[in-house]
Amino acid sequence: MVASVIPRYEFRIFGNALSKIEEKIMALSPREKTRRMDSVYLLTPFKRKNNVKIREGIMDIKVLEQEHAGLQQWNPFLVGEFPLDADIIKTVVFPALGVESPVFEREKYTLGQFIAEVITIDPDLAVAYVWKIRHAYTVADCITEVAEIKVNGASIQTICIESEDAGKVLEAKKLLGIDSNVENVSYPLALKRIMGLTSLPESWNNIDF
Amino acid sequence: MTKEKLKIGEVSKPRFEFRTFGRDLEEAAYRMTRLSVPVPEKVWERTSEETYIVSKTNNINNTKIRDGKMDIKTFVQEVDGLEQWNPLMKGEFPMTAKMLSEEVFSAFQVEMPALDKDEYSLEEFLAIIKIHPELLAVTVEKERYGYMVNDTICEYAMVWINGALVESINSESTEVEDIKKTIEMLGLGGVENINYLQAIKRVTGMIDKKLAN
Repeated sequence: MVASVIPRYEFRIFGNALSKIEEKIMALSPREKTRRMDSVYLLTPFKRKNNVKIREGIMDIKVLEQEHAGLQQWNPFLVGEFPLDADIIKTVVFPALGVESPVFEREKYTLGQFIAEVITIDPDLAVAYVWKIRHAYTVADCITEVAEIKVNGASIQTICIESEDAGKVLEAKKLLGIDSNVENVSYPLALKRIMGLTSLPESWNNIDF
Repeated sequence: MTKEKLKIGEVSKPRFEFRTFGRDLEEAAYRMTRLSVPVPEKVWERTSEETYIVSKTNNINNTKIRDGKMDIKTFVQEVDGLEQWNPLMKGEFPMTAKMLSEEVFSAFQVEMPALDKDEYSLEEFLAIIKIHPELLAVTVEKERYGYMVNDTICEYAMVWINGALVESINSESTEVEDIKKTIEMLGLGGVENINYLQAIKRVTGMIDKKLAN
């Protein structure tokens, strides 16, 4: 396992009516990059401080280090590339998920084998297939992202502000007119809400008909 | 035998239905708007918020709650890929424990939870669902647009499942051949018939299968 980046503070929101914030971002920054990607998130109904995902055949885990001023600081580390050793799945992945490790019948697992033979048969685990178009901007020196995502085929938008400097994230929030009472929602929490693994709060993305 | 003339918003004999869910059904929706005859204003646009109760153990009973009223439909048959569903029960909260055990949880086909009260409010019922490992309550918000194509009742809808958006399109009628023709007219030939229960289970990860597109 290799530490890949310095942990960043992050503020993220999800919704279907984020165009006002998106317009402000576009007024403050050119669109610098657009990336399309698929990710597979592994989820449990339990409260965990880990975000476990697989992208382009590589598994990484982000650990929630701390919460500060309504921001979340996530520390990412790479687990490895598929095919993945059963020993790594047992000693790194399952502890991160907070679920008891099963007995492994293979020494190594391809991604397909891992999903079909390990994840989908475990009643405590769920898989979210997430397809993303991510547009990158810079606001107040922070990496700022507007993304359209599909969660198991269903659409929702997300906007994220992140930086190693918490103060800059707070400054960007202010510039974008995001109130301090707006909930910071991480990817795992949003996915768990969409998939019914955790309760929906009253404030969750109500549709204004 | 003459065909029963369908009228939107009126009760008919049990209908067959084609429905699908995807993230890009705009072309079919456009064709639906252009091919439709005028429909009553009351079905031009309808919105609703419902709670669906999905069960890991069955795909034959579709349970939804709207405005405190429960409605369970049961799968009857499939003909040429079209599904026919009939009402199984209708009830209103507060609901008696007897009705919940005999008609509701039996429809879920799951282990019966202990019911120690005589009757349950909707909130109390949802609290039971929340802790049941085989059941899931899902918030579904709908914005539905009604049409009539080829004598079949049609609809294009934006559907938010626990806040995430999918599109849905359907054609229903008592006449199987009319629906089959409508599917072709809308350019949906070969597209999978996906009912609400299936779509909700797929989005919530209860079934590992994609939507239509």
